[in-house]
Amino acid sequence: MAATDVQEFIQQNRALADQVENHRGISETNKQWDARREFVLRNINEFEEAQIDQLLALSMVWANNVFMGCRYNNELLDKVNEMADGIVVEDAPVFKTREEIMKKVVRLKTSIFPTMHNMF
Amino acid sequence: MGVPAFFRWLSRKYASIVVHCLEEKSKECNGVRIPVDTSKPNPNEVEFDNLYLDMNGIIHPCTHPEDKAAPKNEDEMMVAIFEYIDRLFNIVRPRRVLYMAIDGVAPRAKMNQQRSRRFRASKEGAELTEEKDKIREEIIGRGGYLPPDEIKERFDSNCITPGTEFMDNLAQCLRYYVSERLSNDPGWTNITVILSDASVPGEGEHKIMDYIRRQRAQPHHDPNTHHCLCGADADLIMLGLATHEPNFTIIREEFKPNKPRPCALCNQMGHELKDCSGTAREKQGEHDQFADAMPGSEQEFIFIRLCVLREYLEKELTMASLPFPFDFERSVDDWVFMCFFVGNDFLPHLPSLEIREGAIDRLVGIYKDVVHKTGGYITHNGFVELERVELIMQAVGVAEDNIFKKRKDDDEGFKRRMKDKKKRMKAERPPAYMTGGQFAPQALGGRNRPDTVQNARHQAFDMRMQNNQAGGPSGAQDARGVKRKAEDSDSEPEPEDVVRLWEDGWKQRYYKTKFDVDSTDEDFKKKVVRSYVEGLCWVLRYYYQGCASWKWYFPFHYAPFASDFKDIKGMFSDFEKDTKPFKPLEQLMGVFPAASGNFLPETWRELMSSPDSAIIDFYPDDFAIDLNGKKYAWQGVALLPFVDERRLRAALGDVYPDLSTEEERRNSLGSDLLFVKKSHPLCDFIRELYLAESQEATQMPAELCHGIQGMLTLDADPILPDKPVESPIPSLRDIMTNSAIGVKFLDPQFEGDHVFKAIVLPKAKMPAKVLKPGDWEAGNRNSNRGNWRPQLGFNPNRQQAHLNQSAHRSLGHTMGRSHGGQYSNAPPPGNYQDKYRSQPYRGGSQPSYHQNREQSLLGAPPRMNQYPR
Repeated sequence: MAATDVQEFIQQNRALADQVENHRGISETNKQWDARREFVLRNINEFEEAQIDQLLALSMVWANNVFMGCRYNNELLDKVNEMADGIVVEDAPVFKTREEIMKKVVRLKTSIFPTMHNMF
Repeated sequence: MGVPAFFRWLSRKYASIVVHCLEEKSKECNGVRIPVDTSKPNPNEVEFDNLYLDMNGIIHPCTHPEDKAAPKNEDEMMVAIFEYIDRLFNIVRPRRVLYMAIDGVAPRAKMNQQRSRRFRASKEGAELTEEKDKIREEIIGRGGYLPPDEIKERFDSNCITPGTEFMDNLAQCLRYYVSERLSNDPGWTNITVILSDASVPGEGEHKIMDYIRRQRAQPHHDPNTHHCLCGADADLIMLGLATHEPNFTIIREEFKPNKPRPCALCNQMGHELKDCSGTAREKQGEHDQFADAMPGSEQEFIFIRLCVLREYLEKELTMASLPFPFDFERSVDDWVFMCFFVGNDFLPHLPSLEIREGAIDRLVGIYKDVVHKTGGYITHNGFVELERVELIMQAVGVAEDNIFKKRKDDDEGFKRRMKDKKKRMKAERPPAYMTGGQFAPQALGGRNRPDTVQNARHQAFDMRMQNNQAGGPSGAQDARGVKRKAEDSDSEPEPEDVVRLWEDGWKQRYYKTKFDVDSTDEDFKKKVVRSYVEGLCWVLRYYYQGCASWKWYFPFHYAPFASDFKDIKGMFSDFEKDTKPFKPLEQLMGVFPAASGNFLPETWRELMSSPDSAIIDFYPDDFAIDLNGKKYAWQGVALLPFVDERRLRAALGDVYPDLSTEEERRNSLGSDLLFVKKSHPLCDFIRELYLAESQEATQMPAELCHGIQGMLTLDADPILPDKPVESPIPSLRDIMTNSAIGVKFLDPQFEGDHVFKAIVLPKAKMPAKVLKPGDWEAGNRNSNRGNWRPQLGFNPNRQQAHLNQSAHRSLGHTMGRSHGGQYSNAPPPGNYQDKYRSQPYRGGSQPSYHQNREQSLLGAPPRMNQYPR
């Protein structure tokens, strides 16, 4: 589904789209919300109404991973990436997670430095 | 704002606010420790009425200390906490009230910071354990020795959060502690103890402020109550000023930077974990009694006098020719508000305002300019005048460009100097401006008078030649084929700065990198600014009126720029009413990472890791850190997702029925407790309540307790006189003859729209001035002003030390006769300071101190007026 397809879907399913719109987060930019909304709409048929929160949680896992650099359990990430198949995000931001920063530090620490003690 | 940063700035700029604490130590007689009698007058020459303890500032250092070995188990921790409180009680000696406040569930606005801390702490703890295990294996593999107690479980400091078993145990232990002291310690005889544990919602320091605020608002309050608040947080200073009580003092540990830490594996000082070799320790002291304490390492305390700070602020903030009447109390409130801009716990600070760049001074300067145009003060009783704030923000915005450029210049200069210093230290050369040889600096006044200079030109030539040879070490090394790598790797790779605030286009880059939007997206920018404006209003209201909304929070990780604050007046009206705090276990779900799930009931814990959980997105395994121009991970911004309250409550709704009775109890909201001794006038009143078994709340009679008011209700399992109190700690005895009585206590309540006034109460007497008057002139004995002397401590008429006739005679005998008085020309004689033979200011070889002392002193007596009192 390209962006135009999403628009079509929304037009044809007004009520559903409005409902989903309620779940937009305060801090989400247009770009972030567009992508996440697509995620939700693509997968909405797999979930019953009572389980909508689970879908929302999965959409947040995916969005947090793409837009904020969060890492989750590998299985979980695989699952949401599958669910997000087809969504195009332009210009996704790049992050360094805490583990990556710490690993780099460990590399530096183990080489021979007279001055690098008491780092933390 | 980091605590050290703000406090360092404040105590440097306004030095007289700090007074060192005098602590009376207990004496030992025949091996028996005699406790200090705290009912005696306070050696600091001041009498305090109320002592308020922000308990979290005590719990953390006692349970996981940074500068000594950690306690071995929970019981040791509790005892450490008791001893710490005893120390504080000894120094302050309150005569009316002891108020102990433990952090309860915090407002949502604070939860994000708590979340960030706990996620990080959890990861740091796991990394430390991993490293310890690795090093431990290495040491044992090499045949080294390590103390066997390492099998103990690592103490997860995350358990210091309301709702955990640990906090429940702590509350019980404190009840025991209070009963014990009330029953047995003479210094506690007349005081009222109020304990607000983790089951009562609200941060510790704000529970204290609430108490003070509400007491001030009732008619029986004594406006001259002398308050003493214990805590290390910088915002306690702001909170203290916000009360407008004339006698307010803060006590805190003296912060000593760069203190050494013990090795995490073997608990010895002097090396780090990675260098640990686990050798058997040498015994220190005959029975190893000094093993755990570093000599002279005990923390010292300082007092911070807010009345002196007010004097300083009066000088700084007084403004002439205002278009409206000048009211100093209102300017203090405005000053407090401006300090929020440089940092607080609820909002990220504006990128252009850093304490160490003098941001507060800049703001005060702008404030004094702007206030003529605004037509009035920018705050009133904790409510913000947005139009006027906008003028200040605009003025800061104009300066932003320059601030960033200057910051970059200063950074570069600093880095350059550090590099040069390193190079110099490696080559072990003194700085270039130090002369050598016969031109080397010589100390004054010694026996060795410098000789006349010989062959100056020859020497200068030699020095030049030397410099040429020593200069360019890299060049020399290269010639000898030594690898360049060692030098290169000295410069640590700089973390890349994408935003580059000092270059043009910084606004676009900032919004793109931090928020992932175009800076042309005005709607989005407005959203961020609106939230920030709400935040400023919320924070100020929190300090002056109490928590306006338990639900509000700032939903972004970064602040906007000052120049973006346009048309902010209409952005905010009021907060949602009647919001409630989270319950303790709910709050735990909101701040803990999955790794700390062991503190939660099983089905709740599953919600943190099961892929089918409707809230699984709240608990990432790893998260991004934005270094934001800083060097180390712990300084960066943790990009954690915000908790969606609706979904959290919905998910918990399913697992609520799984709570055990014990867990339900820990999850409920509790009440403050009040304790007094049998002999206290209030005790009989309370006893009557218990006998009558009254179910309703009763108003405290004002005359029984120094004018303190509140509502009393019966405790279900009360502490009663002559009813034994069981000790929850095995090493401490049960209290068989208990004299304390306990009852539930509620602060005076007011209507929802009541506004607490930020004024000095009528009948309050301002304390005497301490600072030098502005128009004081030295040596002018005629005017009254001339009588001013600096004040050390609380008592302006402090007794000066002096010598009697016998002492004068001894001195005269030792010093010999000289003109102008027996000892007026000399510092204390060598006899006094036999131990201190070193003379730090003399270079070169030293003649024997003793013999030459008299000669040199008599030979060249220093001037009399040089030794200040």
